[in-house]
Amino acid sequence: MYRSQKDYYALLGVLRDASMEEIKRAYYEAAQRLHPDKNKLAGETEIFLEIQQAYEVLSNPKRRSQYDATLSKEDAPPAIIQQKVLYSRPNLVRLNEPQLIYVLLEASPRQVDEKIPAPPLNICLVLDRSTSMQGEKIDMVKAAAIQIMQSLRAEDIFSLVVFSDRAEVLIPSAYQSDRIKLAARIQMIRPGGSTEIYQGLEAGFNEVRRSLDPKRVNHVLLLTDGHTYGDEQACIQLAEEAGRLNIGISGFGIGSDWNDIFLDALAGRTGSNSTYISKPQDIQRLLVDKFNALANTFAEDVILEFKEGAAVELNYAFRLQPEGGPIAIEELLHLGPIMQDTPLNVLFEFLVQPSASKADMVTLLDGALKLVITARPIPIPPIRLKLEREVGETPQNDPPPPAILNALSRFTLYRMQERAHEEAEAKNFDTATRHLKNLASLLLTQGEKDLAKTALLEAENMERLKAFSQEGGKEIKYGTRALLLSATENLQ
Amino acid sequence: MIVCSNCKHNNMTGAMFCTECGASLGRADTTTTQTIKADNLREPVKNKGILSPPPAVMVKNWVTLHLMDTGQVLPLAERSEFTIGRISEGQPIMPDIDLSPYQAYANGVSRLHAVIKREASHIFLMDLDSANGTYVNGKRLNPNVEHTLKNGDVVALGKLKIQILLKA
Repeated sequence: MYRSQKDYYALLGVLRDASMEEIKRAYYEAAQRLHPDKNKLAGETEIFLEIQQAYEVLSNPKRRSQYDATLSKEDAPPAIIQQKVLYSRPNLVRLNEPQLIYVLLEASPRQVDEKIPAPPLNICLVLDRSTSMQGEKIDMVKAAAIQIMQSLRAEDIFSLVVFSDRAEVLIPSAYQSDRIKLAARIQMIRPGGSTEIYQGLEAGFNEVRRSLDPKRVNHVLLLTDGHTYGDEQACIQLAEEAGRLNIGISGFGIGSDWNDIFLDALAGRTGSNSTYISKPQDIQRLLVDKFNALANTFAEDVILEFKEGAAVELNYAFRLQPEGGPIAIEELLHLGPIMQDTPLNVLFEFLVQPSASKADMVTLLDGALKLVITARPIPIPPIRLKLEREVGETPQNDPPPPAILNALSRFTLYRMQERAHEEAEAKNFDTATRHLKNLASLLLTQGEKDLAKTALLEAENMERLKAFSQEGGKEIKYGTRALLLSATENLQ
Repeated sequence: MIVCSNCKHNNMTGAMFCTECGASLGRADTTTTQTIKADNLREPVKNKGILSPPPAVMVKNWVTLHLMDTGQVLPLAERSEFTIGRISEGQPIMPDIDLSPYQAYANGVSRLHAVIKREASHIFLMDLDSANGTYVNGKRLNPNVEHTLKNGDVVALGKLKIQILLKA
């Protein structure tokens, strides 16, 4: 049981020490979603009334303290997810120079008596049909779209948008029963025109929003093979809006001509990621895998609201699984989804300045994890996350936890290719070449022979042509990313 | 500050892998080459040539390499995968097992020659597209294809013969 009596804090989704400001904000957010004028589902009005009651108590300081007195410390509701935190070092050291510390966070569903059912979907496929998709690519995309449509369950909502320089809603968002007719419609897709991602993305976003339902996995799958020009900023803004509404966007790039950095940034705004499809034969498998993963979602996007400690910087955040990818460091971190069978693993790198290490205890980060359990719209209380370490005079030489060591050894590979990209961007071609050569030999020692070869070839390209080849750059990026997934297998 | 022992790059305190070359900066190192030193070795086996039952091996070893020319045995434990080759000066390639003390160069062992690994109860050998090839009982392996090993198989890396002793 996760809520025996009415917990007003849980209803509003705030911590017990929440400020008046936070309580107000939480109430307005809930009201926007659940107000009787707006809600759609049976039971939501009742939830809204409870939330209103909670707000009336908690917004009044006197009534709040009376209510608080009835709460004992122990009956804080058991969290519906469990989290585990590992640090790379048992303590920080008092130093006159900056130091690093790594933290690995794992969040997984708590085993509860009640089985949470697989959530129904509300998804939209947004497919690029520009001229460059001609031939095998468009054929494979059609086959994938038809396979996905065939495997929809009766309770799933599906829509399909095709776009080039303009978008067309081929299948409007709805429960789909006449699948033969839809398959025929998909078969009719003909390539032509240029690529303007915003057109397609907006149409897809609108389709998903039309059927938006917190009990569903609401998701846009964007598939493209090209660059978009001039509308990147508009796309990112749309993705931010999607992130706020808990609509996921994942990107699929076919071949070598698409913009991986852009697609990663786009998907990252919603806690999702981009996937590299090197050859058309892989389109169907990768799209269908993603579709199956969506139906296995436990919480679609875990959000970390946080403050860094004084003189501490969060340098880097990276999701190891599910779906490895960088996490954009913004006011809120979209950490990514928790799957029913796969926990969320995030690796953080903190830079601690000397002034912080003067104290005996350093707070690295203080915040709360917020999430919505798909298939259950009742808000759950945020989960406090406070990362802190003691400061000692001397380092303790305990070996780091194997899980963090293992993850970091693979993460180092990804970071090296990223540095090579950064150096190439800054026109330091010699440094970029050196990074690639080092990466190649490191990959060799880890037995990744093919990827090592690619890295060596790219080192040559960098030396001679002062650039990555489009293909090789992506091979290495997504190849080292895939290695991270294999690193997390034995984390449990 | 931590100085990388591999490339002398200065890393920040608390870093675990060198930002320059990616080598581990720590203590419990999982990826560096193990050059097998004499004190890791068991007594050289007297009779050269094919051995029947393996000498009592340490409990944790999952495979023992018996170097047939010199009679030495190399028990392998801890990790489930080892790359085999030889270190040559000035090259960044670091196999897990360095055979250069055993005439590897003269016998035609590549710098990164083969990989031996364990999956469940099976032991696999894979040639890493070496110059002179990997042979099992005289038969050349296709590069990059895993081959299951049995106890007593004789593996040749180029001309360097190694007998595989598996835990019974």
